[in-house]
Amino acid sequence: MIQFEAVKKTYVSGKQEVHALNGIDLTVETGEIYGVIGFSGAGKSSLIRTVNLLERPTSGRVFIHGQDISALTARKIRDIRKDIGMIFQHFNLLNSKTVHHNIAMPLLLAKTPKAEIDRKVSELLEFVGLADQAQKYPDQLSGGQKQRIGIARALATNPSILLCDEATSALDPQTTQSILDLLRRINKEYNITILLITHEMGVIREICDKVAVLEEGRIIEQGSVFEVFTKPQHTTTKRFVRSVMNDELPDSLLDQIHQNDKSRPIYRLQFTGSSVGQPFMSRVSREFQLDLNVLFGNITELQGIPYGNLIVEFDGARAEIDRALASIRNDNIHVEEVQQHAG
Amino acid sequence: MQVNQSQILEALWETFYMTGASFVFSLVIGLPLGILLVVTRKGHLLENEVVFNILNIVINIFRSIPFIILMVAIIPLTRLIVGTSIGTAAAIVPLVFYAGPYIARLIENSLLEVDKGVIEAAQAMGASPGQIIFRFLIPEALSSLVLALTIAIVGLIGASAMAGAIGGGGLGDLAITYGYQRFDTMVMFLTVAILVVLVQGVQSLGNLMSRRVRRS
Repeated sequence: MIQFEAVKKTYVSGKQEVHALNGIDLTVETGEIYGVIGFSGAGKSSLIRTVNLLERPTSGRVFIHGQDISALTARKIRDIRKDIGMIFQHFNLLNSKTVHHNIAMPLLLAKTPKAEIDRKVSELLEFVGLADQAQKYPDQLSGGQKQRIGIARALATNPSILLCDEATSALDPQTTQSILDLLRRINKEYNITILLITHEMGVIREICDKVAVLEEGRIIEQGSVFEVFTKPQHTTTKRFVRSVMNDELPDSLLDQIHQNDKSRPIYRLQFTGSSVGQPFMSRVSREFQLDLNVLFGNITELQGIPYGNLIVEFDGARAEIDRALASIRNDNIHVEEVQQHAG
Repeated sequence: MQVNQSQILEALWETFYMTGASFVFSLVIGLPLGILLVVTRKGHLLENEVVFNILNIVINIFRSIPFIILMVAIIPLTRLIVGTSIGTAAAIVPLVFYAGPYIARLIENSLLEVDKGVIEAAQAMGASPGQIIFRFLIPEALSSLVLALTIAIVGLIGASAMAGAIGGGGLGDLAITYGYQRFDTMVMFLTVAILVVLVQGVQSLGNLMSRRVRRS
């Protein structure tokens, strides 16, 4: 478990103070995959680095499994770090050493017996699917393979926590997918808690259980991935969600609607879980004598829960429309009027 | 020609001796200083402004004194250490004062080339400062370090020839006493030719070793 308590980090450069973290309160439960998303400069890398004290908080406290680490001595911190694996955007492998040596490094530092090291490295190479690459050097491998080596190295000391610093940001979409699959396996098979930072909402949607949105050193929104994706509150969150879930009317369609008739109201209907798949459209249409025109629709899956999104134009008497909306809301469908931008 | 083969061989040996011995001593002094220059700088492993600034200034002072002046200036110290200020052994002292700070700078440069991310990864896996220096920084910089030290050796060959000016022996001494002062063009030509071959050889060997240690 990782807990942040009012964590602040301030850099002083010359006369200017930069507040990288501005009071972070966050709890990552054991076994979770927690994603922190933000634009560059939001404070993500400072945040993840306070967990293993690569950066010390200016104030506030960080707890690992209930232990306050901010007060520990350098030696104690090194011990804690062996329980916290970390992988990086640019992998940070030793180019002068073989794949085997790179993975063995954390064990060599801990003066593990050689036979034990060889056994562990083989096991890890097998796990990340690079058993035949042990004697290669990092510059002979692809980006995805390098990240696998980075992951194997991070797991060498059997950590309980894995920190992922933009681990897929330097990889192509296909490789990203395979690395995310690997991270999910690590989470499930070894029950390792994962804290990751990213600027890609796709990564959050793909593997995270929970998400926090970071902006200017503050968490502006946090919750389960399902919650945040389906009901984003903050503008920045909405922008992130929109980057992976297109649920907006295309402009050309909007123009067309404006040209035809402005008086018909348009509503966004969001349904989740059991409300997906009800034949509510035909029912509402019959019951309230309305013509429903679907302008946009999609159904996706978030954390294994189906999530539908429809944009519907209602044509009929105003009173009937209101009654229809009330009835739809009764079916646990979220209704929201779509603002029709002028021009 | 006013010199015979055995005189040339003796001079060559003296050059080897001066260069080799002063290189070893310079490395012993320059390596720790170079490492300190890196790790004590701002934001690094063992950040220490006082140590860094003192080292930085002292090294700059030694680096700015021309070798020929340094040789004369430290004669009392040379006499204290070696017992005499003339001869091959005596030449080693100023050579070390000349090359030690130089090597420190070269090593500093090579170590600074190591990707900061590698150091961060080392810290993240719980490595101590000593482990980071010897298991990460130096192995990653080794290829570049070998090339840097090759430059230092070539520099020392040149400087040791200059040490001939104060009777330090070696090929430089031969060139000055016979080639320059007695106008023996042949000796001058021969010593320069030997020095050229020597430098070429050292540089080729350095390049080869640098490639060898790139992966270890």
